[in-house]
Amino acid sequence: MKTREQRDLFPGALEMMILRTLKRQPLHGYALAQHIKRTSNDLLQIEEGSLYPALQRLLKEELLKAEWGISSTNRRVRIYKVTAAGAKHLEHEVSRFEKMLDGITRVLAPGES
Amino acid sequence: MSWLKQLFSRRRFYGELSLEIREHINERIEELVAEGMPKKEAAAAARREFGNMTLIEEDSRAIWQWPTVESFLSDLRYGVRMLRTSPGFTAVAVLTVALGIGANTAMFSVVEGVLLSPLQYFQPDRLVMVWENNPRFPRVWVSYPNFLDWQRTARSFQQMAAGMEQGVDLTAPGTPEHLNGEEISSGFFRTLGVELALGREFFPQEDQRGGSPVAIISNRLWRNRFDTNPEVLGKYVTLDGVDFTVVGVVPSGFSFGHQYADVYTPLGRSDPLILNDRAAHDGIFTLARLQPGVTLAQSQAEMSTIQNGLDQLYPDANRDLGIYTEPLKQVVVGNVDRTLLLLLGAVGFVLMIACANVANLLLARSAARTREFAIRSALGANRLRLVRQVLTESVLLSLAGAGLGLLIATWGVRSVVAAVPGILPRSENIGLNAPVLLFTLGASITVGILFGLAPALRSWKADPQASLKEGVRGSTSAHHHAHNSLVIVQMALTLVLLVGAGLLFQTMRHLWDVNPGFDVQHLITFKVGVSHALTKTPSSTRVAYQQLIGRIRQIPGVQAADFTDTVPLSGQGGTMPFWIDSQKPASLQGAPRLAMFLTGPDYLRTMGIPLLQGRFFTPEDTTKSPCVMVIDSIFAHIYFPDSDPLDHTLSAGFSPVGPCRIVGVVGHVEQWALGDSSAYIQNLAYFPLYQDPDQWVPLNYPETTVVVRTALDAAAIMPTIKATVYGASSDQPVYNIRTMQQIVWESMSSQRFPMILLGTFAGLALLLASIGIYGVISYSVTQRVHEFGIRVALGAGKQGIFRLVVGQGLRLALAGLAIGAAAALMLTRLLSSFSHLLYGVGASDPLTIVAVSLVLAGVTILACYIPARRAMRADPMVALRHE
Repeated sequence: MKTREQRDLFPGALEMMILRTLKRQPLHGYALAQHIKRTSNDLLQIEEGSLYPALQRLLKEELLKAEWGISSTNRRVRIYKVTAAGAKHLEHEVSRFEKMLDGITRVLAPGES
Repeated sequence: MSWLKQLFSRRRFYGELSLEIREHINERIEELVAEGMPKKEAAAAARREFGNMTLIEEDSRAIWQWPTVESFLSDLRYGVRMLRTSPGFTAVAVLTVALGIGANTAMFSVVEGVLLSPLQYFQPDRLVMVWENNPRFPRVWVSYPNFLDWQRTARSFQQMAAGMEQGVDLTAPGTPEHLNGEEISSGFFRTLGVELALGREFFPQEDQRGGSPVAIISNRLWRNRFDTNPEVLGKYVTLDGVDFTVVGVVPSGFSFGHQYADVYTPLGRSDPLILNDRAAHDGIFTLARLQPGVTLAQSQAEMSTIQNGLDQLYPDANRDLGIYTEPLKQVVVGNVDRTLLLLLGAVGFVLMIACANVANLLLARSAARTREFAIRSALGANRLRLVRQVLTESVLLSLAGAGLGLLIATWGVRSVVAAVPGILPRSENIGLNAPVLLFTLGASITVGILFGLAPALRSWKADPQASLKEGVRGSTSAHHHAHNSLVIVQMALTLVLLVGAGLLFQTMRHLWDVNPGFDVQHLITFKVGVSHALTKTPSSTRVAYQQLIGRIRQIPGVQAADFTDTVPLSGQGGTMPFWIDSQKPASLQGAPRLAMFLTGPDYLRTMGIPLLQGRFFTPEDTTKSPCVMVIDSIFAHIYFPDSDPLDHTLSAGFSPVGPCRIVGVVGHVEQWALGDSSAYIQNLAYFPLYQDPDQWVPLNYPETTVVVRTALDAAAIMPTIKATVYGASSDQPVYNIRTMQQIVWESMSSQRFPMILLGTFAGLALLLASIGIYGVISYSVTQRVHEFGIRVALGAGKQGIFRLVVGQGLRLALAGLAIGAAAALMLTRLLSSFSHLLYGVGASDPLTIVAVSLVLAGVTILACYIPARRAMRADPMVALRHE
């Protein structure tokens, strides 16, 4: 049986991508999934469904808010928006991620020693 | 969002979530169809890309939940549903648990009420009893002058009080009645920390010789004789012919020691023969409350110092006397604690057997539910959740069982207490109270988890792939292993219980065969409160008693009758120091002891005790004639091995009587207990009632019991006897009417009580174990129907199949019996409290073990019979067609 962690990159990565995407423009679940897939050039083979628990988590922490609306294809959909707290959280997470990435890059950098 | 709002808006929210997910998939399908994919394929692709819908929805919901509680509730709902779908299984399992838990709850409530719960006094753990002791006895009744000295000097105690049980005849108000009474020192109730319901305790000036006659009465007496009149204080009760003023009423439910007393009178008014004699140790006990911060050991040390001082001051009376302090509770509980704990252990075995049964049932059912679990696990349910589900179901079962078990326990407790009346101290304290209910709850949850473990582990290991494959019967060998080991354990436990019960049964049988030394049949005993108008002086008392026994002898049907102050095996009787001829020992405390019977001349003939040498007493042995005594055969054997006892004299007592000539030797009588060969005083002596010195008459005569030999039934002759006694004087109560057979029967209660309970538990164990082995064999037959069919097709005879099945059962039973026999041998030896109870049979009696094993093997064959019959009918065609 696959464990859920394998579907995610590292803890918090999916949430970060969701927040980043939604900060640009509010989207409903399906559009969000397609957008993340597309922009990552299908590199991230995430299951579309794994978005939903992440969305619930963000809703519960009030980093996102959701409203029912009508999509471009005329469906009743729930459209997700980043809250002010969400924006702040994203900033914080991105800077943390960059620091971490910087650290990893240094360690992995070839041959200075 | 507050959690409360969450809780209420959730149902709508869940609906929105599934809608959202559904829409997501529909949108994807549409898009794929628009790209030219056929609708069916598009639907499959959309779902594949999305992932496990159910699980994702569940996970998304879980974020909003208080997860453990909610999944527990849903497990609970599911569990109830599952149990209801298989009512037969549920009924058997619940009933099994109910028997196990019920028996345990009943037994625990006895242990709780008698041993664990605190005494009903203020800070009861600070209460101690102070005894004297000597080189021969660990506890000796206290000398009253010594008590007064302790009370004055001891610093370890806040209060100290003394008391003595003393029966009294109440003649007014109302009809004459003999009552249990207690003579107590002033401060008795204050020491216990008990508030009287009405009135006051005795003043110190009332608690002495010549103090005004005052009494405190029980709540029962207040109710029965005074209609609970609040004006009772100042009214009179006539006790032993003296009018006592009621000054207090004891609160209802109060009791002290082993008997329920109806009347309390000042100890200081008691007989001066006992109170003034420092050498007298005659029934007085001492009670004390420890000072805060003082330990039992410290008080013991202080009291020993005080006693040493007294010993030096009064060497004649006190030489060799020591002190023994012990917690009051230890005295009240006595020695039943070991028996009770033994029985609690035994009943624990029954619960384990019940657990094994339910575990087996659950295992068999979990095999049947393999597919259900496989499907749930394939759908993404995680293992922990499945295990939790299985455990929830089993705990649910055990709780249902416990509910029913409580009903069994209420009935069981009543039967336990009624089974052997009088053996359990504090039995009024036994009931299904809060600690007992807590025990039941804890026990049932524990056993629920215990018997749920095997199937839970099974579901943990379940491989969904394997069990989903059609037609595979699954790997059942490990499974059989579990079944088999559970049955073996059951058999072993049952054997241990049966051996225990068997040994006690043998003990009872041997005790019945013991010759008590007298003829038990056709004997009736009772006491008479001889009218106080007739017993004003010692000589008039002697006449009154002689006339009374003369009247009783005249009654048609009475073959013989006489008085004795001690009835063998009734628990009465004490010991006293003695010496032969003129060899008076330096210290009476350290001197050898005898047990003395004060009897009338016809006692020997009435009891049917054989005369071996010389003569017994005659009516001519009176205070005016030379003092005589009679000894028993053991006395003669121990102390006169080489000489004729009739050539010697005997002196006996702390205030010695004698020297008296030994005029006869009679057969030995079992005085303390049947089959009691312990080192306790076995040498008995007899002294003529009518030779008792004047000063002892008021003390000793009222203690006597009438023994009557008659061929008639007690019920037939007692009315005549009562009429005769009342005819002589109407204020003479007749009480304590018992046949000698009853007395003998009751004397065995310390063995009978555990035998009845252990027998019941063993029977229960046998029943459960036979159901267990039946279940396993019958399950295995169902599993092997195929195999049997093939065997038959290949030419196996029906007998062969029968033998195969019964053989399987017997193999299990034999393994269990071997383990059980080893365990029984070890346990019965380890438990000293158990071997203590046995008589005439060793703790590792091979006969008992073999007999019990045969019974178990027989039951096994019976239990295997039905499934074996079914196996014999296996149809080869059905089996082969199925392949």
